[in-house]
Amino acid sequence: MVNIGKSVIIKGELSGSEDLTIEGQVDGKIELRQNILTIGPNAKIKAQVFAKAVVIQGEVHGNVTATEKVDIRDAGSVDGDLSAPRVAIADGAHFRGSIDMQSKGAPVAAKPATDARPQPAPAAAAAAATAASTPAGTPAR
Amino acid sequence: MTGLFKWSPKRSEPPPPAAPISTDVVTASKVLPRFLSALVQQPAPVLLDLGPIVGPNIAFFGDRLACKIYVEDFLADIEAHTQRGDRDAVGAALTGRLTQEPDSVDGILCWDLFDFLGRASGLMLASRLTKLLRRGGVLYGFFGTTAVDMRNYSRFIVESEDTLRIRTQPATPVSRTVLQPRDLLKMFDPLLVSESVLLKSSTRETLLRKP
Repeated sequence: MVNIGKSVIIKGELSGSEDLTIEGQVDGKIELRQNILTIGPNAKIKAQVFAKAVVIQGEVHGNVTATEKVDIRDAGSVDGDLSAPRVAIADGAHFRGSIDMQSKGAPVAAKPATDARPQPAPAAAAAAATAASTPAGTPAR
Repeated sequence: MTGLFKWSPKRSEPPPPAAPISTDVVTASKVLPRFLSALVQQPAPVLLDLGPIVGPNIAFFGDRLACKIYVEDFLADIEAHTQRGDRDAVGAALTGRLTQEPDSVDGILCWDLFDFLGRASGLMLASRLTKLLRRGGVLYGFFGTTAVDMRNYSRFIVESEDTLRIRTQPATPVSRTVLQPRDLLKMFDPLLVSESVLLKSSTRETLLRKP
């Protein structure tokens, strides 16, 4: 878990592959596609945010996209559009914008790492296995 | 002597804590299920919620409908205008905030918003909302049937497909604009009243549909 402290100001693009907590200011873009982003109570974000999950306790101006969940806590504030399959907004949170929970935000299934060929259907696979074990008219070498 | 004191109540025990006073009203809804069934047929419906942001409602509609929701807290705007004493100007302010394309919205949650609007503002907003709705789209609202001073805003929390929890919060008092069914038909023309249920609270729970 990485922490960006209160006194840190970042202008530009912030990306990474581990969970991150921001307590400072970020202007620009934040990308943590495979990780959880926590925007702390003191944080002020003016950015487009992309992450696996986003927990908002501070202030965000900008659109937030998460492949899993956006969670705005009671002290959190968002002016922007949210896109995530699941969105939780606590009582007392401020929100202004739209919330897109349509299925397009769902994560794409990962491809097999070792074999990219399409897998045959079970019946076809069984037939293929049978054919391979008993080759008709072809002697085994 | 000491035995006499056994009769007295134990004064050292603190009084039991008072139960929290809840002003919430839980009510069954016959119209909300109709609203939902009209939307569930759409593959990715678009909703417009004109009330304050309510987290459980977002979760509920997201789970049930996998939808897109625009949230516009119009009650906050109405309160600000009422406090400034320019309630008549609120209609233009509210319609100006609705930037969605015409025929782009499948469902509108008005709640009891129109009770707090003057006739001119209500007419202006109703005209804009009817343009936003797609054909087959639905508008869900509560319309008071008695002219009383409105001293509270209601926050409608969807608990289930047919149950609402209503939580009130103080409002700058305004006189309610009573809209009879014929008024609704005129204001929301060409929408048609699809469902209308008169509740014990002298409120008409109504579903309007765009043919």
